[in-house]
Amino acid sequence: MVTRPVPVLIVDDQAFFRSAARAVLAVMPGFAAVGEAWSGEEAVARVEELSPELVLMDIHLPGISGIEATRRIRAAHPATAVMLLSTYKAEDLPADARECGAIAYLNKEDFEPEVLERIWTDHQPVG
Amino acid sequence: MPIRVVLAEDSYLVREGVRRLLETEPDIDLVGVCEDYDSLLEAIGSADPDVVLTDIRMPPTGTDEGIRAAERLRQAHPATGVVLLSQYADPAYALAFLEHGTEGRAYLLKERVADLDHLLAAIREVAEGGSVIDPKVVETLVTARSQATQSPLTRLTPREREVLSLLAEGKSNAAVADGLVLSERAVEKHINSIFAKLGLPEAREAHRRVKAVLLFLADQR
Repeated sequence: MVTRPVPVLIVDDQAFFRSAARAVLAVMPGFAAVGEAWSGEEAVARVEELSPELVLMDIHLPGISGIEATRRIRAAHPATAVMLLSTYKAEDLPADARECGAIAYLNKEDFEPEVLERIWTDHQPVG
Repeated sequence: MPIRVVLAEDSYLVREGVRRLLETEPDIDLVGVCEDYDSLLEAIGSADPDVVLTDIRMPPTGTDEGIRAAERLRQAHPATGVVLLSQYADPAYALAFLEHGTEGRAYLLKERVADLDHLLAAIREVAEGGSVIDPKVVETLVTARSQATQSPLTRLTPREREVLSLLAEGKSNAAVADGLVLSERAVEKHINSIFAKLGLPEAREAHRRVKAVLLFLADQR
């Protein structure tokens, strides 16, 4: 059986990180980057348009933060999973980062194919 | 002849991003990609690169590996250029890196790496023995130099200065936390570190806060 790759939206205000995330996804057959956004507002609009299954969401964005964008995306599209990313340590995140509906938080330093794969697999319902 | 480059960066995301950018350039030959200090030294020995493009902090200590590698290169391979990638415009790192001359040295902020032309220009420049210093780093150095004798604020990290500037706008800890998307606890840690560095003894919290803000505002003039 051929499994369709998970469509992923990449959200980061820095073009370099968007390009880097694309490079990581390009070596992962189970995932496919379907679009990019540079702000929280644009991310919300792109989710409407592209219906990704997973959003890689930077926290610190111009306009609304990645946390608020996650909240809006999850409210409108409960089936879309959002993974928060930033350069902060997990313990330095505000409490609402844990309550916005994201499936996980990942420091950009730790963003690797195996880690992304593991988080996604753990997120999938068993059976 | 293409410029032979060794890349050293412990973050997978940054490493793969840079690798992807460089691999598309016909005049760049990426001859080594490393994740830590030891493998960087090994790659320098085996690949004999024209340019080393390196992060500052890498395993094993995560402190100043990139600067130490540059220093070793200065002694053992003086013709090899170094492009140092830094998360922040930190005057202490910049001074350590440039202490023995700017020839064949570039200091770039990671945010600039997104601009391929900027990164390529730095690689080409140091390969020829030239130097490129990020304008933000120059600005920080000039500020640090002009304030060195009179201001304890130069001891603050860029993040601590950011926190202090928000305090100076009259923001509460919660508002600072919101503005920087940090937890309040993280903001408190930064504030305590600011008090310690500014030499403000433990008295009433409000007094220390006001004094820190006054020092900051005086420094802005």
